[in-house]
Amino acid sequence: MTALALEHFLAVGAIMFSIGLIGFMTRRNLIVMFLCTELMFQGVAINLIAFGQYHGNLAGQAFVIFVLVIAAAEASLALGLVILLFRQRNTLDADAWRDLKG
Amino acid sequence: MLGSIPLPAGLALPFPTGVANPLAAISWDMPFTPGIILALCVIAGVSTFLLLPGRRDVSIRRIGGALLLLAGLIFALHLVRYGAANRQYMNVYFWIFSAIALVGAARVVTHPRPVYSALYFVLTVFATSGLFILLWAEFMAAALVLIYAGAILVTYVFVIMLASQASAPGESAAARMSEYDAVSREPLVASAVGFAIMGMLLFVIFDRGNGLVPPLDRIGHSTGGDVRVHDLADVPNAGNTQELGVYLFRDQMVNLELASLLLTVSMVGAILIARKRIFSAEPLPGVAPEVITAAATPIDDNPHSIPVYGTLNPRQKEYPET
Repeated sequence: MTALALEHFLAVGAIMFSIGLIGFMTRRNLIVMFLCTELMFQGVAINLIAFGQYHGNLAGQAFVIFVLVIAAAEASLALGLVILLFRQRNTLDADAWRDLKG
Repeated sequence: MLGSIPLPAGLALPFPTGVANPLAAISWDMPFTPGIILALCVIAGVSTFLLLPGRRDVSIRRIGGALLLLAGLIFALHLVRYGAANRQYMNVYFWIFSAIALVGAARVVTHPRPVYSALYFVLTVFATSGLFILLWAEFMAAALVLIYAGAILVTYVFVIMLASQASAPGESAAARMSEYDAVSREPLVASAVGFAIMGMLLFVIFDRGNGLVPPLDRIGHSTGGDVRVHDLADVPNAGNTQELGVYLFRDQMVNLELASLLLTVSMVGAILIARKRIFSAEPLPGVAPEVITAAATPIDDNPHSIPVYGTLNPRQKEYPET
């Protein structure tokens, strides 16, 4: 291990982001859809930390801290919304709300 | 540069001398071409389409999983070769952690039961924090485990338990699974789009990043793979946590405060969204009766269920349907 191989980490991050994207598009359970967005966050976080290490500064890690903050805020709000939607239709199916316009 | 590359030791070992090495027949001079990435993405897309939950046999889904694993292995092999071409021999832990992380991620997407998806996501989080440690980001690894595996995932599992319908005790496992978990939406289109994006990203990474070397290595400040910043001249050998703390509280002060404000606001918002309004027939003693003054969330799906303003009964509708 002579030099940090940036591409390897970038590749792992890209693959994880794409897997999360596929899951977000295909899954119909609202909770699993939000889990897939968390997967996409993870892929981005790997990229950020790898780039921060590549440039030899701490900006990447600080950025990941803010990503974690956004992820936590998103999770709490999204799960509150999921519970609200579940109370209305008694199902977690995202297709139950396809009559929403906008 | 690509002319005569020695095989990584691990690849040549299983074949004793004298026996023709089947790997030697492959042209090792071939660079990481877009064709390989495209072919692998097509294979992975088809296998993901087979693997996604749907009205298919278990055996077909197994074939999809095996194909996906095969595509991943071929990709890893090419990655090893690419790294060898650029004199980058990755730590063995990199391969272990990234394999666990990606297999876990694939299972999150393809497992039909939400609880298992959440558990596989925990696995992915742990493997990702291992990758962070390889990148000298110990604090971020610990924070990832604490925040994701500890807090966010517990909330997810809690909501999954809270929001799943009760089933009759005699039903089989397949019948108990909800239809929206068992059948995915547009698996073919989504796989095609997702793997097209993945192929594009990988192509850009391997086309542009041809053996990237850290800038610190180039100017000779760093030794070995350790490219940590030694920003704190007065604290020799400060750990990652210490460096990050100083960086956050010295250079990112306002952003950090904004982030904490955002967390507080989102907590208040989550409580406000998820609370359940309980209407009692007669006002509680000591509590002023609530008068409806603004549009509230409708109680049912009826689009005409607009509450009448200025009344004490929130269930009273302006245009009651029959």
